[in-house]
Amino acid sequence: MVRKKLPKKEIAAAAGCIVLAVATLTFYVWHQAAVIQIGFQTSRLEEKKAALEEDIKKLETDKAVLLAPVRVDRIAREELGLLEPKPEQIIYEGIPPAKNHE
Amino acid sequence: MNELGLSYQGRIRKRTIILSFFFFLWFFIITLRLIQLQVIEHRRLRQAVISQSELKRSIIPERGAIYDRHGQILARSLPAPTVCLIPNEGDRPDELIARVERLRRILDLSEKDRQKIESRIRGGEKYIYIKRKAGWEEAERVAALNLKSIYVQQENRRFYPLGTLAAHVLGGVGMDGDGQSGVELQYNSRLEGVKGLSLIMRDANKRRYGWEILKAPQPGQNLILTLDETIQYIAERELEKAVREHEANWGTVIISHPASGEILAMATSPSYDPNDFPPSPIDLARNKGIQENFEPGSMFKIVTAAAAREAGVVGFNELFDCSEGKIRVAGWTISDHKKMGVLTFSEVIIQSSNVGTIKVGQRIGQERLFRTIQDFRFGRKTGLDLPGEESGIFHPLPSWSRTSIAAHSIGYEISVTAAQILQAMNIIANRGVLIPFRMTRPTLNAKDFSPDVPPSGTRVISEKTAVELTTRVFEGVVEEGTGQSARIEGFSAAGKTGTARKLDRDLGIYLASRHVASFVGFVPADRPVISMVVVLDEPKFSLQYGGQVAAPVFREIARRVLLYLRQAPQFSPDKGVVTAHFRNEDRP
Repeated sequence: MVRKKLPKKEIAAAAGCIVLAVATLTFYVWHQAAVIQIGFQTSRLEEKKAALEEDIKKLETDKAVLLAPVRVDRIAREELGLLEPKPEQIIYEGIPPAKNHE
Repeated sequence: MNELGLSYQGRIRKRTIILSFFFFLWFFIITLRLIQLQVIEHRRLRQAVISQSELKRSIIPERGAIYDRHGQILARSLPAPTVCLIPNEGDRPDELIARVERLRRILDLSEKDRQKIESRIRGGEKYIYIKRKAGWEEAERVAALNLKSIYVQQENRRFYPLGTLAAHVLGGVGMDGDGQSGVELQYNSRLEGVKGLSLIMRDANKRRYGWEILKAPQPGQNLILTLDETIQYIAERELEKAVREHEANWGTVIISHPASGEILAMATSPSYDPNDFPPSPIDLARNKGIQENFEPGSMFKIVTAAAAREAGVVGFNELFDCSEGKIRVAGWTISDHKKMGVLTFSEVIIQSSNVGTIKVGQRIGQERLFRTIQDFRFGRKTGLDLPGEESGIFHPLPSWSRTSIAAHSIGYEISVTAAQILQAMNIIANRGVLIPFRMTRPTLNAKDFSPDVPPSGTRVISEKTAVELTTRVFEGVVEEGTGQSARIEGFSAAGKTGTARKLDRDLGIYLASRHVASFVGFVPADRPVISMVVVLDEPKFSLQYGGQVAAPVFREIARRVLLYLRQAPQFSPDKGVVTAHFRNEDRP
């Protein structure tokens, strides 16, 4: 049996098709990998953003704890030795001299 | 050509066609099957997978925060780690218990906790909490052990950064973050958000391989209270000091802005830390301002005075003989704390004469007095947006006895809450108009106390009666009467004291040694910025009168609050106030 030689044109066309198919597949796989990679990045950034938001919340809460009136009052009195002013020591800024009560 | 008459190319084409046919048929069948699985039966199969895994968990959404009127954080949810056990197929109970045993010291589990976990493991439960809302350090140490079937998951923990401040208003939450009392309970549906649903995925061997959120949780809405953090602190500090000093059973203070009905502070002493809710004993969580009924005694004379003036049965200068210092009504003798001679109507209230007030009450008459008490909304909840408010005890007219006019006139045979008596005083402060109380605001309030929603009021008494009572009676109580200890230098204040003997229910008599001391008032008297009620239950030692015990608390709180609110004095106080003001060119 003698095999008939395939024409070069057909071989070239077949090879072209295979290359095209492989290229398309490669592109598809690359594209999918890139999408997944970006997905991972987005997810990481979202996690980071969520963590930062949690940090902000914690810091805001810490600030509220530090500025709690009971704590500020204790530090002012005990650590800084501040005293409440007596009524006659209070100066009212921007108020015209008061009238006597009738 | 072969024996079948087909050429070589023909055979190749035929084989190719047959191969292609089978290939396309195979592809077509697979495609159809995929469409069937992924599209047509997607929902059913997904449900089947979900039900097979059998591990759906609710995701508790982040609870809304609670702020004071200026945006200070009063309550907020923060993430907290929870250590749990999710047994895998093939895990033997003894192995699991041994793993839990390794965590005991790290998580500080008690023997009781351990036994509880053990019984749940032996009971075959699929999700077991080992420690909920643990510390981050503990969770890290647990994670570092990398024990099989032990997981660290995230939940939310309610945190009250200001500790005990406004505890009775805020209330507290349970382990699942659901409101148990206070505004946490009242606004639970708004604060809690909508629960989500998660799925723990397991393979055929029930080994955990994934986690999926089926329904994302919706966080709760934030809540803005009308409270002012600083005013609340001032009120709590002074109240706590007074309760300690007088060894009272309990005390309560409520401060409101009369024109808007907004509650600026609501304090109860003794208090508790909502971070450790529920408190022990649980009675500590009772908000005495709205949940405790008591007989108001002389504070109630504000209603008697209003009824008398509205009915036009007394003039301010009309004289009442109180020289005997006692009066007999239907077999009962009611006396004054001292003999006071002949007093005008104004003086009767200013000096808080029981004899004089009963005579005024008798002139008003049963029906008119009853109606006025009703108009002042006694026997009904104030409608304050807090749970568990008491209505007080106000008997219907048909059940009034021969002593009822006298008793009601001086604040007995009727029980009220501190909030109700403040509401009554606010009617006087608002020139006869009742403005309902409010505990929440839609928006933050940066500077003043302007309400964001115009309050709707109901007229209870005429403006004339309210103004006259303020200037001719209630200012007098503070200036020269029983409430002189409430006098604030530089400001005109109006108020009324109360000293009510407590009823011994077993003996059926009022005890001379046990009192409820109180004061209700507002300042400045002509354009009130704040109104306040102070109640102390059973103050000990020699000082037991409202004017001696509660009025000084009113004065101290009001003085500090007015200073905080930058209210300039209305007139020069006795000691003289130094005032300074910028010249225009010096103004920064």
